[in-house]
Amino acid sequence: MLIFRTYFKILNKYKGVVIIYTVILLFFAAFNMQTSDNSTNFVASRPDVYLENRDKEGALSALLCAYMEEQADVQAPGELDGEEALSDALFYRQVNEIIEIPEGFSEKFLAGERPDILVRSTGDYQAAYLEMQLERFLEVAALCQKAGMDEEELTEQVKEILAETAQAELTSSLDTENLSKGVFFYNFANYSLLAGCVYAIAIVLSSFRKGYIRRRVNASPVKYTRYNRQLLLANGVFALTLWGFYVIISMVMLKNVMFTKYGLLFVANSFVFALCALSIGFFIGNLTTNKEALSGIINVVALGSSFLCGAFVPAQWLPEGVLKVAHILPSYWFIQNNERIARLETFDFASLKPLLVNGGVILGFTALFVVLTNLLSRSGRRSRSVL
Amino acid sequence: MFFHNFKYTLKYLFKSRILIFWTYAFPIILGFLFYLAFSDIEKNEQLDIIDIAIVKEAAGEQRENSEDEASGNSEILLNAFEALSDENSEDQLFHTVYVSEKEAKGLLEKGKITGYLLAFEKTPKVMVKENGINETIFRQAVSEILQTAKLTAVLTEKEAGRQLAAAAGAAGGAGAGQPDWNAVAEKVLGDIQEEQANIRDISGGNLSYTMIEYYTLIAMTCLYCATIGMYAVNCILANMSRKGMRISVGPVKKGRLVLSSLCASYVVQLLGLALLFLFTIFILKVDYGPNMPLVILLALVGSFAGLSMGIAAGALIKANENTKIGIIIAVTMLGCFLSGMMGITMKYVIDSKVPVLNKINPAGMITDGLYSLYYYDTFHRYWFNIISLLIFSALMIGISFFALKRQKYKSL
Repeated sequence: MLIFRTYFKILNKYKGVVIIYTVILLFFAAFNMQTSDNSTNFVASRPDVYLENRDKEGALSALLCAYMEEQADVQAPGELDGEEALSDALFYRQVNEIIEIPEGFSEKFLAGERPDILVRSTGDYQAAYLEMQLERFLEVAALCQKAGMDEEELTEQVKEILAETAQAELTSSLDTENLSKGVFFYNFANYSLLAGCVYAIAIVLSSFRKGYIRRRVNASPVKYTRYNRQLLLANGVFALTLWGFYVIISMVMLKNVMFTKYGLLFVANSFVFALCALSIGFFIGNLTTNKEALSGIINVVALGSSFLCGAFVPAQWLPEGVLKVAHILPSYWFIQNNERIARLETFDFASLKPLLVNGGVILGFTALFVVLTNLLSRSGRRSRSVL
Repeated sequence: MFFHNFKYTLKYLFKSRILIFWTYAFPIILGFLFYLAFSDIEKNEQLDIIDIAIVKEAAGEQRENSEDEASGNSEILLNAFEALSDENSEDQLFHTVYVSEKEAKGLLEKGKITGYLLAFEKTPKVMVKENGINETIFRQAVSEILQTAKLTAVLTEKEAGRQLAAAAGAAGGAGAGQPDWNAVAEKVLGDIQEEQANIRDISGGNLSYTMIEYYTLIAMTCLYCATIGMYAVNCILANMSRKGMRISVGPVKKGRLVLSSLCASYVVQLLGLALLFLFTIFILKVDYGPNMPLVILLALVGSFAGLSMGIAAGALIKANENTKIGIIIAVTMLGCFLSGMMGITMKYVIDSKVPVLNKINPAGMITDGLYSLYYYDTFHRYWFNIISLLIFSALMIGISFFALKRQKYKSL
């Protein structure tokens, strides 16, 4: 097992890069992964809002603030100090809307005036929803005021009218929130698995293929088939160890999902993809022995696949043309499977069939890369023997 | 000697394919990937028309009991949703189909609609598949219609009372009987339709956060100048290259050679930067705004900071060339990561929780300078970043100067 041991000795030299890819995965996973309890009741979205209430004494302003606190997550005063901090928070979508209630708002409003409420918004869905609510509040309050209600009656009526909420029910019992976290983790693992596996395998293989080492191996009494078998075994052990490690991380971080049938499917899907990553590593490792060139190729392949197939940005947000091109990449089928798993309602053959088809496509890619690697290494051997 | 070394440094740098890949090709490839991934993301976040269904029938057994009670609210709901789904209206919020409950379930299952409304139930109910903002907006729309119904009742009562009181006043205190319900309804509905909330939107125009990705890309390209600078310094270091040995024993002024090598490195870098700007502006159609000369100035200063970082890496790190490149790339990528390349939230978190980190991070300075130009009307933050970059560069060059000056070799 000399070759097997040497493989891991060389790998040890490059472990830093693999660790970096793993740390990136861990970091992003931890950033997004606080699992929550499964909720079977409808829970309304709560946008983030910053309220700048310059009408501290006003009853209507207080009512508006209380209403907003019911509907949205209001940033605590003092959390965003200064104009620049507020503007930055808006740009980086930490708040969806900044609402400014002008001085003397309540008094003027109750006197029949309509002072402007100033808003700054991100213009997205969340901001549109907040604006709907703000408009509603102001319209109801204005109509009550017009009807001749005094402050006390108006406050009471506005409260009562706005408390009228339609019933909403979830038709699916799927734990969508936690499942989507599983999808996020395994989609992101596409990058770490691909970059980590391909980098390590390609770099170590290129070390074995370097001129003088190759010549020494050729001259040694080790049979070519045995040499190849040991390399394949070492690569397989490494790829599966890396995959197993990522699975364990997911089990620790996503307990609610990973110990269910869904978790099993995520694991199976990533296993098939790990095999594919192994074959891609083999292929790229046979392309060149120049380590710096390899590092460039790997970065382009891993980042390209991840960006184009929806590992970083959800696939439904990618342009259609990009997704069409992505069909030629194995990552696309892996990520599509992750998305499908999270939408599974039943576990019969009919609903699992698309997953099996996608898995088959990934295995097809694996076979293709194995064949390409063989062709490449055969032509390489022939050209070298001619020389 | 200056131009001789300048020319040969240029030749040497252009012949290094790896260097050309990381400084010229990689930023362009990454920019293209950003473009592909992010071109639709903001469009998708804006409120679009939501597909929904309305079930116009009550569930079999409930129908008889509930129809009478439900019909009042149901009619209001149907009319309101018709108005909210009017394709000719600017305020269209929904695209509504009217189907049976079974069909609605099928559509929801296939993801064709966000949800459906059981309009003829005793209590109208919104049915959705999952929690989300579209679902919340749908529920809010139904709530608003129910609120309007309640508001109408309250206002009608109030208006009727007012009319009766007015009539009683006119009749000298005698009871005036029934109010004119048509007039009451007309007045209340007219008021409801007329009422407009006084909200003034003062949002600025430049809110595209994907610009941060392109800014970090420029920052990365600027800092990759460090690899070029390091190559150039390595060439004249006697312990790093044979050329360096010859130079150190040759009768030439070392300072002049260092300067000419760095000038050549800067020229190579500027060419890469120009390529990136041309690519992003003309191919990816990135709009850097009206302050293009200031954007270019920041990129020039940023590249200088990158170059100074490379000189420091070349002079201070005692390792082979590959290790130095590895360290430079790792430091650059870490800097870009902290300034938002892998997710803009990171820049915000660092800026608000550990601001000092991005104040000493050259990638953070470049990104923040470009961001402040794009987002703010004032320039103080921009100039603060320019000055920070110049101080950073001076510090790096100062340290390198003393490190290079003291270098002596016992043997080579």
